Amino acid sequence: MPTLTIDGKPVEVEKGTSILEAAQKLGVYIPRYCYHPKLSVSGNCRMCLVEVEKAPKLLTACSTEAAEGMVVRTVSDKVKAARRDVLEYLLINHPLDCPICDQAGECGLQNYYMDYSLAKSRFKNEDKVRRQKRRALGPHLVLDNERCILCTRCVRFCAEVTKTAELEVMGRGDHSHIDMKEGKALDNGYSLNIADICPVGAWTSRDFRFKQRVWFLKKTPTICLGCATGCLIEAHHNENTIYRTVPLPNPETNTWLCDHGRLAYKAVQGGDRLVKGVIKNGLIDFEPALREVAARIDEARGAGAVAVLGSPWLSIEDNAALARLAKDALKTENYCFDFASEQGIKDGILINKDPSPNANGLRLVKDAHGGISQAELSSRIAAGQIKVVLAEARAAGLIKDALKAAGTRLIVFAANKGEIPAATYATLPYASYFETPGTFVNYQGLRRRTTPPAEAPEGVKPLWAVVNKLAAYSGSSLRLDSAEDALKGIDLK
Amino acid sequence: MISVKKVNNKPLNLLEKIYLWEIARGLSVTIRHFFANLFNPGNILTVPYPEKTIPLPGNARFRTRHRLKVRSDGSPKCVACFMCQTACPAYCIRIEAAEYTENTVEKYPAVFDIDLSRCVMCGMCVEACPEDAIAMDTEELTGGALNRGELLMTKDGLLRNLPGEPSRKGAANRLANEYLKSRGEE
Ligand code: SF4
Ligand code: SF4
Ligand code: FES
Repeated sequence: MPTLTIDGKPVEVEKGTSILEAAQKLGVYIPRYCYHPKLSVSGNCRMCLVEVEKAPKLLTACSTEAAEGMVVRTVSDKVKAARRDVLEYLLINHPLDCPICDQAGECGLQNYYMDYSLAKSRFKNEDKVRRQKRRALGPHLVLDNERCILCTRCVRFCAEVTKTAELEVMGRGDHSHIDMKEGKALDNGYSLNIADICPVGAWTSRDFRFKQRVWFLKKTPTICLGCATGCLIEAHHNENTIYRTVPLPNPETNTWLCDHGRLAYKAVQGGDRLVKGVIKNGLIDFEPALREVAARIDEARGAGAVAVLGSPWLSIEDNAALARLAKDALKTENYCFDFASEQGIKDGILINKDPSPNANGLRLVKDAHGGISQAELSSRIAAGQIKVVLAEARAAGLIKDALKAAGTRLIVFAANKGEIPAATYATLPYASYFETPGTFVNYQGLRRRTTPPAEAPEGVKPLWAVVNKLAAYSGSSLRLDSAEDALKGIDLK
Repeated sequence: MISVKKVNNKPLNLLEKIYLWEIARGLSVTIRHFFANLFNPGNILTVPYPEKTIPLPGNARFRTRHRLKVRSDGSPKCVACFMCQTACPAYCIRIEAAEYTENTVEKYPAVFDIDLSRCVMCGMCVEACPEDAIAMDTEELTGGALNRGELLMTKDGLLRNLPGEPSRKGAANRLANEYLKSRGEE
């Protein structure tokens, strides 16, 4: 375990640690472009130069291994001059089109220029090397070669993380530029991470393009519900509109984010969003829809012919509320919180075999409230014992064959119109987990709660609140006044 | 520390205490001006605004209603960078950006609203603009209006050039210049 001194402070690090990482441990920030903690070290940008005693020249902190007795200086005049010069070099051919660049405000060139340079350009505009401006590459990205500083983070990402190797540095010298290899498409399912790791505005996201300046965005950490992996994400939003989500790197689950999960936020605000109730195919206001649903439930209830189905797409709170509705308000035994799921990372990166985010959370609800198995529910439906089924839209799809065969009335909760299964009798809207807090347990057994970055559209309530009202219409009170009330009685461990 | 200023008010003398004398003295000033203006109307200092205006003194014309400058091909010089919206202390600018498919400038404002009823005429937006696209030199004073809607300037109302423009002076945008050149519209 070598011990070295950085800016006069001693630090002991594991063998093999770079100076840059050792400094990070001490809280000393060394500027960098090409270094990325999860990619191989390339050492091409020279931004991380530091002075090491007894070394004849400045060394790159990212690629120099910390050694016993090293004395490193990161703020000497020599280092400052080197940083200024490296920046001047990187900016020689930069087009300086910050006014039309989406990266402005979170750009490595802008930030480091303010922190380490502030020098006037000595190069004439006309002498700059021109490269190709914007062009769409792949389904999600835009590349502007002129802004690129050739740090090769994008190339290494495609080679090392997705292992699809679509990108390469083409040409030599002044002609070097990033380009896609022939016959490739840059649709590896993780491509938007490239826009995140590009330290300048060369790669930008097509989805986010020109939507909002980054300095207007507020940031809320929450979780991705795209699959059972449950990655940590940060939602960037302004005035109740979410503009993008980015990964929140953490050692437990994720550094990156898949494109599917990253764009999942769009469903919440798209035209597909359900903000009213639906009876058969017609939209009606929430209250009348709720009354209609309550009336249908009341009809079937006397004969004990109502069933409630939980869902691995819903939070623990909302599932628990559904269980309470079945047990305490409808007083039926026909409720099921039993879902078989095979979990595990499917592609070696992030995407899970289980597309639902909360199968493990559902198990906790089942442990607390019991219920019948899914096969049993299906057979009861098929036997015609059940007249009305209450379920979440996507979970309802799992028993659709039984429903169809028996002609049972299906009432679903849905956040999007596209989720509603065919032949649904009534649909009630609920607030998605970008709009209300919900607890989820991911495939690793980690319990996490969403923090809502936005507010639900007017009149749309969290599912537990809808259930609470439904119970009131059926003549019993569940006393659910908050999401926490629904969690009562569940052993979260 | 609060600084305290002592004011030594002169005590009123008898004539002032009587009050009527001072009133008459004050009225005589008003009456004097009344007759002076009546017999010599050319010297009146105030003008019946808005029917009549006087030339704005000095640089005051750079604090008049906004306009957005136009390139020679009719496109707005503005690239929707949001600098002015960010700088505006009164939150009266609202921009929505859009993308040109053809034009190499890439970005333009699809919506550009200035709510003059909120504007404090500070000129920060003009200072902030990196493209020299917004100016406050129309020499039109943002006076009153009969309803708030009239004070909301939209892109159509804002886009205009002064006589002699468009000039290439101050055209910061290389891409725009190249685009215009390629169309032979320098
Ligand atoms: S003059 Fe000042 S207050 Fe008015 S729009 Fe410009 S920045 Fe805003
Ligand atoms: S600062 Fe200038 S270029 Fe930028 S949005 Fe405002 S008017 Fe347009
Ligand atoms: S970060 Fe060390 S050379 Fe780029």
